[in-house]
Amino acid sequence: MLKSTSMRSFLTSTWLGWQIESNWADPFLFLVYSIVKPLAGAGIIVVMYGVISKGNFDTPLFTYIYIGNAFYQYVAMVMTGVSWAIIDDREHYKTLKYIYTAPVSVPWYLLGRGVSRFLIATFSVIVTLVFGAVFLHIPIQISTIDWTLLIVSMIVGVIMLSLIGVLLAGITLLTVKQSFFIGDVVAGVFFLFCGVIFPIELLPPVMQTIGKLLPVTYWIELVRRAMVGSVAEAFPTFINVSDSQLLLILTGLTIIYGIISIIVWRVCDHRAREEGLIDWTSNY
Amino acid sequence: MMIQPIKDRLAGWRLFLMSIRGRSYPRIIGMQRDVTWLIFDVLMPIGTVAAYVLIYQAVGAPSEYIGFVVVGGAMMAYWLNVLWGMSSQLYWEKETGNLALYIIAPAPMMSILLGMAIGGIFASSLRALGVIIIASWIFHVSYAVTSFWLLFLVFLLTMAALYGLGMMTSSIFLLLNREAWHIANLAQEPVYLASGFYFPIKSFPFWIAAGASLIPLTLGLDAMRQLVFPSGSSLGFLSVQVEVFLLVVLSVVFIAGAKWMLDYMERLARREGRLTDTRK
Amino acid sequence: MSALQYSIETRNLGRIYKIRGAKKEESKTLVALKDINLSVKPGELFGLLGPNGAGKTTLIKILTTLLSPSSGTAFVAGLDAEKEPGKVRQVINMVSGGESSGYGLLTVRENLWMFAQFYGIPTDEANTRIKKLLEIVGLADRMNTRSSDLSTGLRQKMNIVRGFLTDPRVLFLDEPTLGLDVGASRDVRHFVRQWVDEDPTRTLLLTTHYMVEADEMCDRVAIINQGKVLACDTPAALKQQLQKNALFEIKVDSPIPLDKDTIIKTVGVQNCSITEVDGGSQIELNLAEEAHLANVIVNLTAQNARILSLQKHEPTLEDVFVKLTGLSMEEVENVADDDPTN
Repeated sequence: MLKSTSMRSFLTSTWLGWQIESNWADPFLFLVYSIVKPLAGAGIIVVMYGVISKGNFDTPLFTYIYIGNAFYQYVAMVMTGVSWAIIDDREHYKTLKYIYTAPVSVPWYLLGRGVSRFLIATFSVIVTLVFGAVFLHIPIQISTIDWTLLIVSMIVGVIMLSLIGVLLAGITLLTVKQSFFIGDVVAGVFFLFCGVIFPIELLPPVMQTIGKLLPVTYWIELVRRAMVGSVAEAFPTFINVSDSQLLLILTGLTIIYGIISIIVWRVCDHRAREEGLIDWTSNY
Repeated sequence: MMIQPIKDRLAGWRLFLMSIRGRSYPRIIGMQRDVTWLIFDVLMPIGTVAAYVLIYQAVGAPSEYIGFVVVGGAMMAYWLNVLWGMSSQLYWEKETGNLALYIIAPAPMMSILLGMAIGGIFASSLRALGVIIIASWIFHVSYAVTSFWLLFLVFLLTMAALYGLGMMTSSIFLLLNREAWHIANLAQEPVYLASGFYFPIKSFPFWIAAGASLIPLTLGLDAMRQLVFPSGSSLGFLSVQVEVFLLVVLSVVFIAGAKWMLDYMERLARREGRLTDTRK
Repeated sequence: MSALQYSIETRNLGRIYKIRGAKKEESKTLVALKDINLSVKPGELFGLLGPNGAGKTTLIKILTTLLSPSSGTAFVAGLDAEKEPGKVRQVINMVSGGESSGYGLLTVRENLWMFAQFYGIPTDEANTRIKKLLEIVGLADRMNTRSSDLSTGLRQKMNIVRGFLTDPRVLFLDEPTLGLDVGASRDVRHFVRQWVDEDPTRTLLLTTHYMVEADEMCDRVAIINQGKVLACDTPAALKQQLQKNALFEIKVDSPIPLDKDTIIKTVGVQNCSITEVDGGSQIELNLAEEAHLANVIVNLTAQNARILSLQKHEPTLEDVFVKLTGLSMEEVENVADDDPTN
């Protein structure tokens, strides 16, 4: 069966992304890496909270922080992964020019790289959640998870994150390889505005407004509700917004950001080709 | 003759300094020719610091903890410079073919690594200053520096030990390829956790804190916090004097260790044929 | 002769690679070099000639202290490359073809200055040398161009300047004209020859798989294949060995693939190689005497081959190679195993 260019690009790059991310070490080392890294990240939050609360983790606030931090790994990894693919292919593997000259849809190629990062992030997220449930009494129970809400939110979420990744990838086409990467840095900014580890009511009003314009805010709230609905109800941010309304807002913002991403990508792609930056090496 | 022989070829410590200057040059010039780093490396990291400050505000932490996050967030710039601007940079140099040219040159590898680090130190310092000034202003952090010279000494010793450690870890990149890059990636968050970037290291059990003190930033941050915050000493792990002494020891050990590791790893990599191995 | 009298000397040099991920026991190692014995005197322009995968780059890596030998010893300027790499590095430099060096964000002059620093050359002297060398290679007008804006050929010129900039006693050029156009290649070859000739303490080791380059430039040539040196002498002396033989090139058109074995078994045939070309097959023949040509024609006719052209030619280094190995360079490359050095 003949696949369309987009589907072929997407599937091949998903496979490629998986190969790049997963087979750089023997399975044991890869397992260690996939466990230690997310737990260390969660550990920072745990220690910070534990120092102040004197080790009392049985609070809705801690659950709020922990779940948000766990799922936030998707944000960093997918957004970073999509835009990092430009740097990797351009400067390291030097294959970007061949991808461009092949009958491949580059945005779909990038989306595929994002999906492969999503799959790898899933393992880290599960490790973090299981650790929290077993050792820190996070009230996650398989029987009480709203699976429908979770699955739908995740599907919309990965599309949303990949599309934002494409936007960042476009910008990356025009910038040098920095020590600190644009995907990581933008993820850090989202960390502040999107109610990941604290309710956005703590932010000044202007910043709260910014947070409410970002799709990640709604996505984090949705997965929180799906995982630990009772805890999510303890915070006022979207108290009057139902799950389906949140999902609608998330979907709408995904579409809007998707359109912006495609426009930005096209502009940056055109400029990069005009200035001969597709096969540029900028490492210094 | 088309070109005359070289009259004065410098060696020894002069070659060492020239090589530092030579390798730092691309970094310094690169930062001038592409200024987007100002946004990504200086302004945006303030967002991450702010997020951690707000966690403490959400849980009702005492105000000095806010200051701890700000100082930790500032010093993180140097850790990231060591990790990504120096250690892992060798991975890129190997991939682009420059590593072979560095190896066959008479310049010591330590000088080349230092050049990379020093070239990036301006950006790191700007990032650190940006975080301190802007975050302190936003979150009303006040400081009470008890001894500026002692603070400066602690900072210098921390840098010496940290960059020595960085050079030691760089050596693994002579032998490994992508595995080393992932190992460096792996080191990022555990060091944030173990070094107490966002909380006092005294929160850990003694022996865990002691083990974490092998990372220079752990002791450096702890000492700096004791010197700049009024309640710093009550939340300090060891006294400032002890920490200064330990930093001196770490500096000597890591710098000497770096020389040894670089030589050893280079010999090993030459034996295994990995110096120019670009297995991706 | 002792090591001090040679710029480059190898004694029973060998290098074995372990192949990572190999499944079969017998293919877990690759012998890249075996019992290499070479001696290059100061002032020589020495060529190392062989097909891809022959071991040329491995040898250069050992001599430039990037790789340790598995057996034997290597000396450069009288210094042991394995035990005294620091001292060796003070007197050598290397240029590889097809690779870029430096940083794209820097200009040509800045990249070259940076490398000069690693060799202890003061800035003033470095700038003077850079200017002079760029003029020689025809890159002076691009001195302040960012190297990322240069074409492949111009980047290679910059790379070549980097090699000569540091005034090495021993210079290694690994396929230096790769990526250069005909004119630029000729200029580089002329410059290299001149550089060696003007100072008898300079030595240059050049690897190439272009026969013409080795023939034109080198004082002596070592032919290497599958990790072994097959012959080492001046180009003239190597070709002289074949002078008494008759060399022919026959182009044929055949309905079925030619049977090489029967041609080789024909009386008078010393060696034969067959390459597929556009419109037919090209046969390189090395005959003991010209008279034996008739036997070959009879054989070809019996195989229903139609002769399209027939040419007698003077021996080249390629012919020397065919005589030594029984295969042309191209045939060797086509059947070469995976080389972990590539």
